[in-house]
Amino acid sequence: MAIERELFAKMVDFVQNCIDGIMIGAAYGLLAIGFTIIFGVMRRLNLSFGPSIMLGAFFGTWAFLTLNAAPWMVLAITIAGTVITGIYVERLCFWAIRRDATIASMVSSFAIWMQLDEVAILMLPGRTYPFPEMFVSGGLNFGPFFVRAEHLVTLLVTILMVVGIRLLLYRTTFGLALRAVSESSDAAKYMGINPSRITFLAFILVSLIGGVAGYLLLATDQQVTPYFGLWVTFKGLIAMMLGGMGSIPGAIIGGLVLGIIETQTQWYLGNAFKDMSAYVVLFLALVLRPGGLLGQGIAERQDLAFRRV
Amino acid sequence: MSDYVVSVVSNMGMIAFIALSAYILLVIGEISFGQQAYFGIGAYISGVLTAMWGWPLWLAMVLGCAVAGSAALIIGSLTLRLSGIYFAIATLSFAEMIRLGLLSVHVQVEIDGELVGPEGAEGFGDIRWIFENDVTPFEFMTVIYVLLVGVLTILFWVERSRLGTVIRMVGSDPLLAQAQGIDVVFYRLLATVFAGIIAGLGGSLYAHFATYIEPNVFNVMLGVHSLAYGLIGGLGTAVGPLIGVGLDIGFLEGVRVFQGYRMIAFGGLVAVLLIFMPRGILDEERVHRIKRWLERS
Repeated sequence: MAIERELFAKMVDFVQNCIDGIMIGAAYGLLAIGFTIIFGVMRRLNLSFGPSIMLGAFFGTWAFLTLNAAPWMVLAITIAGTVITGIYVERLCFWAIRRDATIASMVSSFAIWMQLDEVAILMLPGRTYPFPEMFVSGGLNFGPFFVRAEHLVTLLVTILMVVGIRLLLYRTTFGLALRAVSESSDAAKYMGINPSRITFLAFILVSLIGGVAGYLLLATDQQVTPYFGLWVTFKGLIAMMLGGMGSIPGAIIGGLVLGIIETQTQWYLGNAFKDMSAYVVLFLALVLRPGGLLGQGIAERQDLAFRRV
Repeated sequence: MSDYVVSVVSNMGMIAFIALSAYILLVIGEISFGQQAYFGIGAYISGVLTAMWGWPLWLAMVLGCAVAGSAALIIGSLTLRLSGIYFAIATLSFAEMIRLGLLSVHVQVEIDGELVGPEGAEGFGDIRWIFENDVTPFEFMTVIYVLLVGVLTILFWVERSRLGTVIRMVGSDPLLAQAQGIDVVFYRLLATVFAGIIAGLGGSLYAHFATYIEPNVFNVMLGVHSLAYGLIGGLGTAVGPLIGVGLDIGFLEGVRVFQGYRMIAFGGLVAVLLIFMPRGILDEERVHRIKRWLERS
């Protein structure tokens, strides 16, 4: 009996870790969707995605600290700040640079990252600031398992947003145009679609998603630092690469896998291995299965090569 | 020269090595976010050899470069199939694995009643070779620049030879290069290993100049900066990355007017520069024109 009970307790730990991982992973999935949409539409990497969310969150924190804003206002300000910063990044690093200069856009978005970091530090000098809690707090017990209310909200909002994005992409003209530009921006142009307008709108959409994801993550942690930008960019990138680029289900699965790997290693191997494990899995995944879990990157590339031959 | 100027100029020289290493990969057509790993490997290996085992500096540096080059060979062959963003993220995760791994390396020995060696996140201090051998900062700066000129000479020589043409061709169109009978895999690995060795060289110099290193020095910011230097300065010639380094470190340290706003000014400057010159100040076309102009006059 004692052994059985011990085994049961271990199983409970494992399942509890999986639950926590899925909750955190849902937010990672949203970040990965942001990366995947932008990469799909532009074939260029926006390193400033995380920092623009960070700056939006700093606007929210600033309003919270100086104007004593309510949680819903902080949410609104965070999203608005992220969208404005996103538009700034898009105009300067992507719209203004030739479409084929992919590396230039990436480096430019990195330069703007440095700029956004400094703006955040000038606005709120110091390292760590409190971020207001969500509307709900506390937790729920399901048998032996415990779920934080913030995590539950994160999961629900993620599901709602994924359904919304899915509908937007497959049921609206904008979604059709966006998918057409992802497929081939030249062909889309001949069909009367303006790729730079679609890119601009995609950037706004992605900033909205990013702002919500950033708010959910920060309201769960209840603190914000300038390092949040770096953190978001790399979590989003890892989740996107794990799932495979250019696929929304892939982004979600990548996010969930990343969340579960992180919580499991943190529980069994300790904090030092939490980040390490994500990179090890990502490296192995890239070397062994370069297209990602659901992606078609490599097949696509070879296809392109054959067409050129 | 004042101590301050010497330290800034030395810093520029050492960062130039990793910028050149990122530049070589850009020329072969790949974006690497992970050159800081080889820089860190060079720093740690050579630091351990001189501080803990008492090796002479030149031998420690040779071994540091060799280990960095071997690591580049292994990672290069594992990532041969990858390109573009896949390659960038694979190198990034390798570099982060090295950095996070170094955080949990605790190897210390007692030398003259003091503990010396890498101590995880606490860092690795007391790499005292330049004090023990009475090398002044100015002399060490000279060593850095002699080595840098050596590396540049090799790069210029390669650029003028058939090898340089082949490498630029692999970089601009690997498929076409393959169709011309060029062994793409071989040249890619060659460039990767050479880039690793150069970064390792810079790192081993850095460890002895700074006398203190910690894993977080070799974070992804260092790698992305070195990548940016090549693109700011231009991808047409090996002088490009040096211009980038000079602009960044020289500008940051030199212009005091922007104190507190310097990243805003510098970030904006780079973004605007890249709009008008997407392949940097000295891109291939401009380098070609300058060469023709030099030949005519």
